[in-house]
Amino acid sequence: MTARALHSTNRGAREPSGASPNGSFLACVLEGLADSIVLPMALLTFVVVAFVSVAQADGNVAAANPTDADSESPGGQKSGSFLVRVRPSGKLVRSAALTTDVKIAVSGTVARAVVSQQFRNDSPDWVEGIYVFPLPENAAVDRLRMQVGERTIEGQIREREQAKAEYAAARDSGRRASLVEQERPNIFTSSVANLGPGETLVVEIEYQQTLRYEDQSVSLRFPTVVAPRYIPGTPSSEHTQGTGWAPDTDSVADASRITPSVVDAGEAPRNPVTIAVEIDAGFPVNDVVSRYHAIQVEKRDDSRYGVSLAVGPFPADRDFELVWHPIAGAVPRGSLFRETEDGETHVLLTLFPPVGAQATEKRLPREAIFVIDTSGSMQGASIEQAKRALHLALKQLGAGDRFNVIEFNSTTSKLFASPHEASDQNLDAARRFVDRLKATGGTEMAPALRAALESETKEGYLRQVVFMTDGSVGNEDELFRLIQEKLGRSRLFTVGIGSAPNSHFMSKAAELGRGTFTYIGDVAEVREKMGALFAKIEHPVLSDIVVEWPKSVAAEMYPKKLPDLYLGEPVILSARIEGLLAGKVVVRGQSAGEPWSTKFDLKYAHEGEGMGVLWARRKIESLTDSLQDGADKERIREDVVDIALKHHLVSRYTSLVAIDVTPARPDGEPLDSQALPVNLPRGWDHDAVFGSLPRTATPASLHLMLALLLATLALLTYALAGRKA
Amino acid sequence: MTARARRLLVFGLAAMAIWQAGEAAYIHAKAWLAQRLIASAWSRSLASGAAAKPWPWADTYPVARLDAPRQGQALMVLAGASGRTLAFGPGHVDGTPLPGDSGNAVVSGHRDTHFAFLRNLRSGDPLEVQTADGRMAHYVVSGIEVVRNSDVRVLLDAGDDRLTLVTCYPFDSPVPGGPLRYVVVATRTLSPALSRRGRGSAEV
Repeated sequence: MTARALHSTNRGAREPSGASPNGSFLACVLEGLADSIVLPMALLTFVVVAFVSVAQADGNVAAANPTDADSESPGGQKSGSFLVRVRPSGKLVRSAALTTDVKIAVSGTVARAVVSQQFRNDSPDWVEGIYVFPLPENAAVDRLRMQVGERTIEGQIREREQAKAEYAAARDSGRRASLVEQERPNIFTSSVANLGPGETLVVEIEYQQTLRYEDQSVSLRFPTVVAPRYIPGTPSSEHTQGTGWAPDTDSVADASRITPSVVDAGEAPRNPVTIAVEIDAGFPVNDVVSRYHAIQVEKRDDSRYGVSLAVGPFPADRDFELVWHPIAGAVPRGSLFRETEDGETHVLLTLFPPVGAQATEKRLPREAIFVIDTSGSMQGASIEQAKRALHLALKQLGAGDRFNVIEFNSTTSKLFASPHEASDQNLDAARRFVDRLKATGGTEMAPALRAALESETKEGYLRQVVFMTDGSVGNEDELFRLIQEKLGRSRLFTVGIGSAPNSHFMSKAAELGRGTFTYIGDVAEVREKMGALFAKIEHPVLSDIVVEWPKSVAAEMYPKKLPDLYLGEPVILSARIEGLLAGKVVVRGQSAGEPWSTKFDLKYAHEGEGMGVLWARRKIESLTDSLQDGADKERIREDVVDIALKHHLVSRYTSLVAIDVTPARPDGEPLDSQALPVNLPRGWDHDAVFGSLPRTATPASLHLMLALLLATLALLTYALAGRKA
Repeated sequence: MTARARRLLVFGLAAMAIWQAGEAAYIHAKAWLAQRLIASAWSRSLASGAAAKPWPWADTYPVARLDAPRQGQALMVLAGASGRTLAFGPGHVDGTPLPGDSGNAVVSGHRDTHFAFLRNLRSGDPLEVQTADGRMAHYVVSGIEVVRNSDVRVLLDAGDDRLTLVTCYPFDSPVPGGPLRYVVVATRTLSPALSRRGRGSAEV
């Protein structure tokens, strides 16, 4: 109770003094006795102010449990600061502050990024900070540096358990240490130990990635927040491993590691991010556009641009995205980057198939299944984006097509029991169905996927499943297995909705579903993005793609099997090469029953950096994917560990750890472990995700108290009047 | 200030006091009266086997009867836990199993009317549920805790058959809308619970 009371006192004192009782209150009372109108007015004002401040405090009590908050003294705590419960003592302290600074250098379609996380300890105790953060789903994290004052300590790659043990030993002996672990291809945890009172510590994480290059544009997407994930399954009784709000379950064994606590509704956003990007596009570029943040662009020359934020840091609550287009006619048909290191040569090949070959085609009738996520995480801006996209998709259906609409949250429901003709009447029913949709409840995605993939299919139709979701689930692997098992003739297209979609789910589900993915982060983008998706859906794919290397070259290539290509998509592959890099690489495939092929002369190779890391990252992904097919778990683990250790890569089995040699924390000083809170993604509704416990108080006693007060005032005024008269 | 103005002020304040008292009385009267009407709907629905609405324009219906014999409470549990439903009785939270079914059945109620008695529940206290098909299910209070309203763990299946009662906390706060919830968990037992209270069992 103390916390609450103190809080309300603080807030009351901050009210504009004109409205609040202040030092002249006594004087007021005395004057009021002389002319009694003042007294009731002052009292009334006091009552109103008191209620307003109590009500505000009620909604703003930090992550505290009142039953044991009594022993705490949150004195000195500023409004807007978040209290976290520390381990092991269970005390409430001000959360450590985290600022992120990102510097990205783009060369062609490859990006190298340095993410600096600055932890600042605002508590009077020694602290261990734990921060769960996202990176692009194809990020190859290969470097960690910890800056302690003037010194820099380089991180070492270790098997995950060993890294954890080394980190724990350093932490317990008082030495500064940091650890970077991978929870999902796009979720990482950064831990720093032994941060003294008032101290800051910077952890630098570096990664390399290939950028998305399709539809004549390159896009760079940097996620900044891990959105709350829905965790299906039954909580397991075992000890939870992580610090998140969700317990580990039988479906998501590491749920507590991927669900960082979220700041309260109404709380000021935290975790500011700054981003600067240097682009060397490799071809002349028209313009660089940021989709969601105001930027400042400096043109260095036709192909080189510098990008920075126009208005300073932004809170880590939505993805940052840059897009640039080559000047018409300047698109290279392909590119090849080569790197030779330690006697090994790795290449990255990007190749655009000829566009003209597929211009004429007859349109096959489609059987389109639209699936829309109506869970609580979609509440707010996301559901509006999804509904607009769905309306647009319905408009796209032609006579002779068949369709169905499936919505899912805690339960799955279908518009029709089975796909229906796209008649005016059926489409009207669909529109009414979509308009009525409301976002609430859980994200039980498996039954919806099953309903979409298993429903009866008709011969002679192209079967396409368009899946609109933010992908905020923790059981990705389970869903991937389901897609692989049930796909059949269907093709799965994912549409990532909202400000912080789960990129790992979107891209991998589309890959396994032999479709493609797109993102919609704003209602204004719906037309453009869905338009591009329909263009892809309606053009025949390039399938059965094979790559032939010249006789003189032996190549270990990833992905092993190239995916089908949709309109505007390139072949992208990483290979380790042995032999002389000369001659031509030939890519062959089928399009609408016709063979096609394209060539690229290996002599046009450019020197590039980090090609080996990209190759290793693709190889690890390929190995991990084979787990879905039931490959031996232990053998895959060993293979991944081998390749990850060799290339200094963080993976699900390897982590980077940096340890200082000299102890910093004096013997006997305790260490508080804090899990840093994150923002709710922009546009999300806190209550729709978390506030599912009903509101269960009536204002009856408030009314009663007011009634008593007013009655007292009435009596008082009456008595005074009587005396004067 | 004239006597006339003073008199007006007194009348004004008195009128407001009566209005506020009326509001408070209305809330409690509605809560009390609704339970009577719902109880009669319940007997009808037990007899007929079909859900019966307590009054013709009601948008909810009783799904279970909840008894707390030690506290002398008998409450009709309504379908849904929206604000409108909760004015009439404790509401069953959608998406959780019904009371008496297997899994974690969650019921919430107002801390100052129907569920005010939760503060008197102690570990080991019995709770009885009558389901719509007339079955009786027996529970024993096994845990009490205070959580934030964002703590969805309370709603999750815990792998056993239980009844979870949720109300706002603290009980005496004059202002509604706080972020804390008082949660009583009762575990299913096969037979009516034997009293364990008074043997110093731990709570909270």
